[in-house]
Amino acid sequence: MDPFDAALDLLRRLPPSSTQQNLNGIISLKPDLEEDLLSSVDVALTSKRCTKTGRDYLCCDYNRDGNSYRSPWSNEFEPPIEPEEAADLIPGGRIRRMEESLNAGVDVYRELYYEGGISSAYLWALEEGFAGVVLFKKTSSAGGSAGKGGWDSIHVLEVSEAAGKRSAHYKLTSTVILDLGLSSSAVDSLELAGNLTRQTESDLALTHSGSRESDIEQSHVVNIGRMVEDMETRMRNLLQEVYFGKAKDVVGDLRSIQPLSEVGRDRDAHRDVVNKIGQRT
Amino acid sequence: MVTKSETVSSFVQAAPPGEVDIKALAPSEVQSLEPAFKKYNEEQYTTVKLSGSSQTVIVSSYNVLDDGRYFDTASQTSFEVDHSSQTASSAQSYTLDSRNADAIQSLLKAFSAAATEHFPSSTVGVYPTDSDSSIAILLVANKYSPQNFWNGRWRSTYVFDPSSKSVSGTVKVDVHYYEDGNVRMSTSKKVEASSSSAEGIVREIAKAENKFQEELNRAFSTLAEGSFKGLRRQLPVTRQRVEWEKIAGYRLGQDIGGGRAKT
Repeated sequence: MDPFDAALDLLRRLPPSSTQQNLNGIISLKPDLEEDLLSSVDVALTSKRCTKTGRDYLCCDYNRDGNSYRSPWSNEFEPPIEPEEAADLIPGGRIRRMEESLNAGVDVYRELYYEGGISSAYLWALEEGFAGVVLFKKTSSAGGSAGKGGWDSIHVLEVSEAAGKRSAHYKLTSTVILDLGLSSSAVDSLELAGNLTRQTESDLALTHSGSRESDIEQSHVVNIGRMVEDMETRMRNLLQEVYFGKAKDVVGDLRSIQPLSEVGRDRDAHRDVVNKIGQRT
Repeated sequence: MVTKSETVSSFVQAAPPGEVDIKALAPSEVQSLEPAFKKYNEEQYTTVKLSGSSQTVIVSSYNVLDDGRYFDTASQTSFEVDHSSQTASSAQSYTLDSRNADAIQSLLKAFSAAATEHFPSSTVGVYPTDSDSSIAILLVANKYSPQNFWNGRWRSTYVFDPSSKSVSGTVKVDVHYYEDGNVRMSTSKKVEASSSSAEGIVREIAKAENKFQEELNRAFSTLAEGSFKGLRRQLPVTRQRVEWEKIAGYRLGQDIGGGRAKT
């Protein structure tokens, strides 16, 4: 197995709550994997406060330059970077217009679904089309026996417009990092941590009421917003099923509270009843 | 400054049930992963088969001998373990030398019987411990389902004090699910009980484990209804999905969601 695949495989199997630590450990063993690993592995998001607007934003590789991060609200790097660098990295025109609109839309979405938390979206131009990332972070900390939790979602998208600009092709790769835990007198400690990744692609129409550029830009925001919403809702349900359904089922498969001899007797009794009903009809 | 062998060793310790395989990453400088694998096997109660037997026996720190071999009480054998391949060899007959030999045998009989009542598949071990003043009672149950991308392990560890007739220990359960992702559940609970007979001790343990399992199931619901729900709703309060056409035209500067302070 090639070292990069082995590294990803190992990270997948180690406790998700110590991914950052394990990442550092693997990089110390194989330093030449650093670049590739950092861009392929998802860790919980960090946030900063935009000094210009007073609003919080999320940090990732896509809005980073060295130790500076670009605020989606002010569209400036903090701490400031060299003007030549900034010229390359700070989006303008169409990309920035869509980015502003997407952040505003995603902010409303965040309030409706997360009722708190932080959201950010970053876009950048590609040779053909554009790409972006939409981020959400939310924590709940009732703590103790009520439990604590952390949700981070990272949606990476790639958009290419069809020749006539009547439609566009959207590729979305979404990762949700979820961390839950509680401690009580009945259960000393229970930790549920992990991440799930899903992908989807679709061709969606770009509405044309007069084929104004702003309509196309608006269409992109609508399409991206809907895809992210659909994906997050699907993943939330999947996480619920996996974290609570599956984990609980596995524990039930390991040990049965009801003595197994009784389970066997009940099953036999049930089968007898079913057979008798069958004989009657 | 953490050494490379400490790093690799820590990976081995943290790997999920049934998935230890780190050779591809271990650099050539790391001479032997044997100590890391040994520690992993002893902590995880790895089970091995003795040749000529279909029964499995536990590998733990409670049944290791001074010369590095391990012993099994039930079959009265001692054996060697290759920790990286998790296999046993050179089984020899071994007579248990303990002042609590009788208690050990009755606990073994009672505990094994009780285990089959609750665990579809498990391995049990009862050994002298604490310089022969106490008795260790161990159980490990595993479920591997690689085609469904999940593994689970239940470990019970109890130490019985024959003079006070009390038992105390811990139950640990770990589950790993890895289909297009990586989800780990880890839980542990301290258990205490006392009784005058081996059957009584075993009954008390089963009761305590039942209670823990019921509480665990309730805890899953608490997390689902509480912390998880508090993170992201299934639907907005309006019970309708977001009307993106309506909000797509918004520009920054308008006071929409408000952007709450750091949560």
